[in-house]
Amino acid sequence: MTGQPTADSAALVDLYETHGGRMKSIAMNLLGNTTDAEDAVQEAFLRIHRSAASFRGGSSLSTWAYRILVNACYDSLRRGQRRPESPLPEEPALPRSASADTPLRLAIEQALTRLERRERTAFLLCEVEGLSHREAAEILGVNPNTSRTLLFRAKRKLQLELAVRGAFGGTEAVR
Amino acid sequence: MKETRASCRDLEKALAGTDPVLAAAFEAHASGCPACGRELAEFRRIESVAPSLHRAWDSPDLLPRIRQAIAEESARAPELATPPTRWRWVPAVSFAALFGLAAIGLWVFRNGAGRDPLSEHWRTTKAPVLTDEAIEEVDAAERTYLASIEKLSRLAEPTLAGASSPVLVNYREKLEVLDSAINELKTSIDQNRGNTHLRRELLAVYQEKQRTLESLMKEVKS
Repeated sequence: MTGQPTADSAALVDLYETHGGRMKSIAMNLLGNTTDAEDAVQEAFLRIHRSAASFRGGSSLSTWAYRILVNACYDSLRRGQRRPESPLPEEPALPRSASADTPLRLAIEQALTRLERRERTAFLLCEVEGLSHREAAEILGVNPNTSRTLLFRAKRKLQLELAVRGAFGGTEAVR
Repeated sequence: MKETRASCRDLEKALAGTDPVLAAAFEAHASGCPACGRELAEFRRIESVAPSLHRAWDSPDLLPRIRQAIAEESARAPELATPPTRWRWVPAVSFAALFGLAAIGLWVFRNGAGRDPLSEHWRTTKAPVLTDEAIEEVDAAERTYLASIEKLSRLAEPTLAGASSPVLVNYREKLEVLDSAINELKTSIDQNRGNTHLRRELLAVYQEKQRTLESLMKEVKS
């Protein structure tokens, strides 16, 4: 970071423009609605502002920011003592990829809310947002092998639940 | 080279993806096994659909809101993040002593090592290198230092777990950042155990962590 992100600083705008979109997506998938997600992103930026002076560059700025965001989301969930809304609401303002397998996507969103918190986060970071295990590990405060294990458990649990619910429809064997 | 073969029993290991050779062998097995083929296909479908869970929407008010919140907080609590200054000398003095010992060890090594290849290295390059013996001494000092930090961490843990006030949340965030920096430096040191610069950095971060923990404990008591 070139400087502590004050209210008007270019560093703040730069951080928001570079990582704000992904931060909103992570928060949305953890908290289940856009209002809570935006509140969590705002809270994360406040915490980043408070802690910016102590950022030593030991990790990348993005993983540091995501880590703060994930903790803000956990705090929000803890305060409400709730799991994310289930199923996640379909909001017209949230465009989707036309090629997405919609029924399966909806089933995954629903099943995600029943996963253990860290497994859900590992899935969101690696599979949804495309972060590496090294980055996810830093965000989760674990080592990369633990991140791999969390992700595998998440995917396996999702698969088993979705299979029981018949969400895969006519899945064909790999040939 | 021995060919790896997989069977139905390898399903979990293959899906975990930690062994690429086994994963490839399992894929070959799955092509002829309907049950494993189905499991593998379901797993892959989750992976292929997952990116579509990314959410994006316009929120033109969010950045102005963030700016306003930061401006308000800056005006309200300009010294929120400044820890108390009393007792700062305790870790500073213990750290200086620790570092002094390490420096003496280094001086003895450099002046008494004679004409061995490592001394030659010291003379011919500027790269800081420690001997195994010196590294062991520094490691031992680090372990002792870590033990005292761990003790403080355990005391602080219950407070931080239920932190709700801005000050405590701030402490927790700061400690998380420090832990992250410690992990990063440790990884770098593992790849270059003789790098004195990295070790100095690590010790400085440990010092900061201890200072933060001590400030936190004082904050809790008051």
